[in-house]
Amino acid sequence: MKTSHFLRFAAPSMGMMLALLALPLLMTFFLSVRNCTVEMEVVKVEKSSPFGTTVEMTQRARLDENGRAIQRCEFVGLQYYRSVLGIGGPAAPAAVDGPPGEAPAASGGGVRNPFLSALEFTLIYTLATTPPVLLLGLLLALGAQRLSAMVKGPFIAASLLPFIITPVVGALSIKWLFHDFGLMSHLLGQIGIQVHWMAQAWSARLLIIIYGIWHVVPFAFIVFYAGLQSVPQDSLEAARIDGANALQRLWYVTLPHLMPLIVFVTMIHIMDAYRVFEPVVVLTQGAFTATVQYLTYFVLIQENNPFKASAAAVLTILGIAVLLIPLLRRTWREQRGGH
Amino acid sequence: MIQHRARTPLLDLLIYGGLILWIVLASLPILWTLIISFRQYVDAFSSPIQWVAPFTLENYVHLWVDREFYRNFANSAIITLGVVSISLTVGCLAGYALSRYTGAIGFWLLLIALVFRALPHSTLLPSFYTLFDALGIRNTYLALIFVLVAINQPFTIWMLRSFFMNIPRELDEAALVDGCSRFQAFRRVIIPVMWPGVITTGLFSFLLAYNDFLLSSALTNADKMTMPAAIANSITAESEALLMQGVAGAVSITVPLIILVILFQRQIVSGLTQGAVKG
Repeated sequence: MKTSHFLRFAAPSMGMMLALLALPLLMTFFLSVRNCTVEMEVVKVEKSSPFGTTVEMTQRARLDENGRAIQRCEFVGLQYYRSVLGIGGPAAPAAVDGPPGEAPAASGGGVRNPFLSALEFTLIYTLATTPPVLLLGLLLALGAQRLSAMVKGPFIAASLLPFIITPVVGALSIKWLFHDFGLMSHLLGQIGIQVHWMAQAWSARLLIIIYGIWHVVPFAFIVFYAGLQSVPQDSLEAARIDGANALQRLWYVTLPHLMPLIVFVTMIHIMDAYRVFEPVVVLTQGAFTATVQYLTYFVLIQENNPFKASAAAVLTILGIAVLLIPLLRRTWREQRGGH
Repeated sequence: MIQHRARTPLLDLLIYGGLILWIVLASLPILWTLIISFRQYVDAFSSPIQWVAPFTLENYVHLWVDREFYRNFANSAIITLGVVSISLTVGCLAGYALSRYTGAIGFWLLLIALVFRALPHSTLLPSFYTLFDALGIRNTYLALIFVLVAINQPFTIWMLRSFFMNIPRELDEAALVDGCSRFQAFRRVIIPVMWPGVITTGLFSFLLAYNDFLLSSALTNADKMTMPAAIANSITAESEALLMQGVAGAVSITVPLIILVILFQRQIVSGLTQGAVKG
C-alpha cells in the first residue's frame, strides 16, 4: 500500500486521536502550571424587607458583555505539584484516611502527601491482585479442560460475567454483599468473623482487592484456556512415556508453552491495575483507598480545580511511563521483526 | 491417541468442587443483587439475613416510573450506538490501512496507540473539562461520544488490524487488478469477509461505552447521564428508598449484558484471545 493511500485511510482515526488524546494530553501539562480565578467585584445591593431597605456590599463575579464570568489566569509554576505532593504550605486537603461516610474532602489532616499515598495503594492493589489472578486463571483453565463439551459453554458464559459486567455495578453488588446487613457479612459472622468492612483501612482495602481479583480472573482464565488448546500433545505424550507425573508435565511442558500468555496477561493487568477507579469510588469513596486515578478525579470534581487536577494527572502520566517501558520494548521487537 | 488417564476420585472432587465454587462466587454478587431488588429495604438488608421475603416490584416502579430511569436508558442507548458505529467506521479504515501498509508511519502509529491505550482516562479529564467549557459543548451527546470513540480507538485499531491481517492480501490484489480502486477493494471485497472481526470489535466498543462511568459522570449533567453514572447517586445514598432504586438500577443495567454474553459468547472469547495470540 502506498503511503498516500495509507494516510487517507488512517486520517479520520489519527485526527481523532490527535484532537482528543494527544492535544488534551499536552494541554494537561500546560494547565498544571497555571491557575485561573474568576474576577470578583464588590457591588452595592439594595435589599428590601418589611423592616425597610438596607444597602449591603456583596461580592459577585464580574461578567463580560456575553454574560460570562471574566477569568484572570496566571503562571503559577510548580505550586500545584507541591500541593499534590504535600510539600510546604498548609496541608493539602487529601482524599484519603478519612472515616467512611464522611465527605473525603473534610478528612485531610493526617496525610502529608496525597499523591504518594494514592500511588502507594495503587501499587499495593497491583501487587496483591496480580498473583491470585494468574494462579486462579490458570487453575480454572486447567480445570475447565476436563469439563464435557456440553457443560463447557455455560461454564465459560457464567465465568465471563464478572469481567463484562459494568464495573460500577459489580462494585456496588460486592458492596451490598459486605454491607453490615449484607449476605457475606452475615455468613462470615456465622463463622465468627465480624467486621464492619467499609469502616477501617485494612478491610476497605481488602474489599477493593477482592473486587479486583473477582473482576479480572475471567480474563486470565479465557486467555490461558485458549492457550491450553495449543499445547503440543506429542510433547505431553513423550513426557508421559519418559515417566513424568502430572505435576512435572505441567511444570516442564504446559507452563513453558503458556509463558508468553502469562507475560501478556500480567502486562495488561498491571496497566489496568494502575488505573483502578470504579471500586474505589463505589466501595469506599476514597476513604483509606485513594488511587492515582481517583485522586485526579476527586480534585477535579470535588475540589473543582482543573489546574491542581492537571498536576496530579501529569504525575500519573509519569508513573505510567515507567510501567510502559517493558511493553513498548516488546512491541518494538515484535513489530520491527515482523516487517 | 491420548491414553485414558487414571484418575483418583479425590482429585476429581477437588477439581469439580473448585469449579463449582468459582461459579458460585462469580455469580453470587449479581444473583444476590437480583434477589434483593424484589424486596423492600427492611427485607433486603436485615439482621439476620432473610432467605425468603415478600416479593415486590416497587423498587423498579420507583426507578423507572418515578425517577424516569428510561431517560438514562435512552441516553445510554444513544451514546452506545453512536460510539459503536463511529468507532467501527473510523477504526476499520485505519485498521485495514495498518494491516496493508509496511512503512514506518504505520509502525509509529501502532506504538503511539499502545501508549494511549495505557493512559489512565482521568488524566485527560481536566483538559476535556476546560476545553469543552470554553467551547460550550460540555453536557452534549456528541462531545461524550467523540471522547469515548477517541479513547477506544487505540484498542479498536489494534484489534481490527489483527483481524485484517488474517485476510490474505491476494484478495485485495485480485480486486485491484480487476480495476477496483483501493477504497472499492476495501468496501466491496474485504469488508464482506471481515464481518466476524467487525462484530467482535463492535462488542468490545459496546462494552466500553456502555460500562463507562468515569467520563460520562464527569462530562454530562443529570439530564444526559448514562445509566451507570445515574445510579452512582445510590453510592452514598442515605435514603433507603434511593438505595433500593440503586439495587433495581444495577439489575436493569446488567440484563442487556447477560443477553449479550449469551448471544455472543464465542465472539467475546475470540476477542479476548485475539490480542494474546497475535500480540
